[in-house]
Amino acid sequence: MTAIDQTAAAIPAARPATKTGPRRPKLRDTWWRHVVAWIAIVVALFPVAYIASAAFTGNPSLAGSSLIPRHLTLDNFKKLFSPGNSTTDITSNASNYPHWILNTLIVATSTAFFTVMLGALAAYAFSRFRFRGRRMGMLGLLLVQMFPQMLAVVAIYLIVVHTGTVFHVLALNTLTGLIIVYLGGVMSVNVWFMKGFFDTIPAELDESARVDGASPAQVFWGVVLPLAAPVLAVIGLFSFVGVLNEFIIASVLLQSDKKLTLPVGMRGFIDQQFSQHWGPFAAGVLIAAVPVVILFMFLQRFIVEGLTAGSVKG
Amino acid sequence: MADVRFEDVDKVYDNGVQAVFDLSLNIQDGEFLVLVGPSGCGKTTALRMVAGLEEISDGTISIGARVVNDLTPKERDIAMVFQNYALYPHLSVGDNIAFGLRLRKTPKKTVEERVQWAARLLGLTQYLDRRPKELSGGQRQRVAMGRAIVRQPQVFLMDEPLSNLDAKLRVQMRAEIGRIQRELGTTTIYVTHDQTEAMTMGDHVAVMRKGELQQMDTPQKLYSDPKNLFVASFIGSPSMNLVEAQIVRQNGGLVARIGDQELPVPGELSSARPALTGYVGRKVALGVRPEQLEDASLVRDGANGNRLRGRVVLTEALGSELLAHVELSGKPVVTDDVLEGAVELEDAMVDDLAQKADEERTTFIGRFVAASDVRPDHVIDMVVDTEKLQFFDLETGNAIRAGE
Ligand SMILES: Nc1ncnc2c1ncn2[C@@H]1O[C@H](COP(=O)(O)OP(=O)(O)O)[C@@H](O)[C@H]1O
Ligand SMILES: [Mg+2]
Repeated sequence: MTAIDQTAAAIPAARPATKTGPRRPKLRDTWWRHVVAWIAIVVALFPVAYIASAAFTGNPSLAGSSLIPRHLTLDNFKKLFSPGNSTTDITSNASNYPHWILNTLIVATSTAFFTVMLGALAAYAFSRFRFRGRRMGMLGLLLVQMFPQMLAVVAIYLIVVHTGTVFHVLALNTLTGLIIVYLGGVMSVNVWFMKGFFDTIPAELDESARVDGASPAQVFWGVVLPLAAPVLAVIGLFSFVGVLNEFIIASVLLQSDKKLTLPVGMRGFIDQQFSQHWGPFAAGVLIAAVPVVILFMFLQRFIVEGLTAGSVKG
Repeated sequence: MADVRFEDVDKVYDNGVQAVFDLSLNIQDGEFLVLVGPSGCGKTTALRMVAGLEEISDGTISIGARVVNDLTPKERDIAMVFQNYALYPHLSVGDNIAFGLRLRKTPKKTVEERVQWAARLLGLTQYLDRRPKELSGGQRQRVAMGRAIVRQPQVFLMDEPLSNLDAKLRVQMRAEIGRIQRELGTTTIYVTHDQTEAMTMGDHVAVMRKGELQQMDTPQKLYSDPKNLFVASFIGSPSMNLVEAQIVRQNGGLVARIGDQELPVPGELSSARPALTGYVGRKVALGVRPEQLEDASLVRDGANGNRLRGRVVLTEALGSELLAHVELSGKPVVTDDVLEGAVELEDAMVDDLAQKADEERTTFIGRFVAASDVRPDHVIDMVVDTEKLQFFDLETGNAIRAGE
């Protein structure tokens, strides 16, 4: 009902040249918002600028770097992608950078995809069906979420070791194993989040579709999921970025150099005492940021909607 | 096309609330049945049981020759229009209307044709590419109708489909829904809490109260021959005037004594309602419709007996007629039936009514011709059309008709 009202109210505003529509706010009254926004932008971009500068200069250490690079070079990028490292002093594992990128993309994409799908299925059930154990299930999920996944690292390690002896695809040092662990880790909070969103989609829509002749699966895929697109986008993006940043579990489960994800691999650049490679490191993270930025731009429209959940139109 | 039958249907919700008691209804093929009653009386529940959205706790519902108790909504071949329309926001108007056909794997060409047909019938042709949120309330309502008619189901179910529209549009859509239903001849069950809507739209109207069917009849019969006090006060606007009256025998005939005044009961009326003689010496609820009252100064031949005198407290000039609120002595009927039936009453008015009951004063509303010049504080005579008086048992609330 309220949703209908909102949209109804939105129609006249959408028409151009309505005299009664809200006036555009005067700059005199809103200048401070712009100031705040610009400060926020500068603060956010400052580290990025630093990294970019480090990536495009030849300087191997951070000490001598400056915000504005004196002479630009692509050496750092070349080093990342040149196997054999004949001319550089980079450690041999640098040549695995392309593998890390690929691994990370595989793990992040599949984790994001399956998180969204599994989460949506569970959330839909929790939102729409009344079954025995529903309350307990929801509470259980919440409870599990209260413990940080780090606490479970040892247990996860042991479980993966043992599962791996039976199911080789899930063994240590496999990407699939890592994906499964990631999927379990964030599921509960996502289910809660999505359930909250599904609850705002009027049940009449489901019922209407059922009367129209839709099976439960058709209701889910044809009506509920499309309407939940914003929240799916947000969850997908968050889990993608989450995987991109995750270090501890990946470092425990992945061992061989070629199997590492970016955070684990990149750490190799800077944790050696005598040969820190800030230049290639900066170049590496800069590249790693590209998919996230692309994803953000792609999903921007949904994300704004998804974060202001509850605005599904009835 | 099919008829719909409820047989002793009960509905008990999981939380123990019983929403429908022993409901038996017979809706003929092609008929427009309106389920009406105050909010919370179980209308929606009854409708949803036909749709298959709510389990039937006991009894059977059949559509045509099939008992549908255990069928899914899809198998029942019905269409439903929801109160808030329940349009799919992510689909265009055309896709909304086509949704059900596509699910049934109807050939593309047929879908196209049928959507065009429905859109023409409802005047939606130019809006087919729009999204629901780009439509006005009335247009959305039409889309919801379109989604229902396009599949040509056996039964239409509508749950207060007009309650989100403004008054003018509601009147217009009322006529339009009636027209479409007649044109298609599809059996329709229509739920509303608005008795005017019920009376203007239904071939038959079923009045419900607290989950129980009170009376199912044609609008005319419901109005002229209500079965009990609840129906009497629920149907009609303004409501039926109800006052306590003592039945006494006088000169071989019956007389109803209201406060310190008397109304003779015509012989035909008392012979048509033989049970009335059993009430001699007792109190009953006497009912008078507003249009049975007329300003006596405008009536030539006024038979002197059929008059009530009172003081005008309020007049409402409606142009075509004049509603006069006239206070007279006599105890108003304030049983639960009446209070619940007279849904137009607000809380303050209910309190007022209770106070008047204590003071043995009652207010009648008369529907006078517009020429009447009664003004507040005038003491006037009203001529009563006693042929149509109604009598109800004060205890049971039932109409007093044939023998016990
Ligand atoms: N899902 C439900 N669970 C429990 N009780 C319900 C449910 N739906 C309706 N009721 C109750 O059943 C009664 C009838 O409701 P409803 O059929 O919606 O009435 P109406 O449509 O006539 O206003 C009400 O007392 C209401 O509180
Ligand atoms: Mg209802």
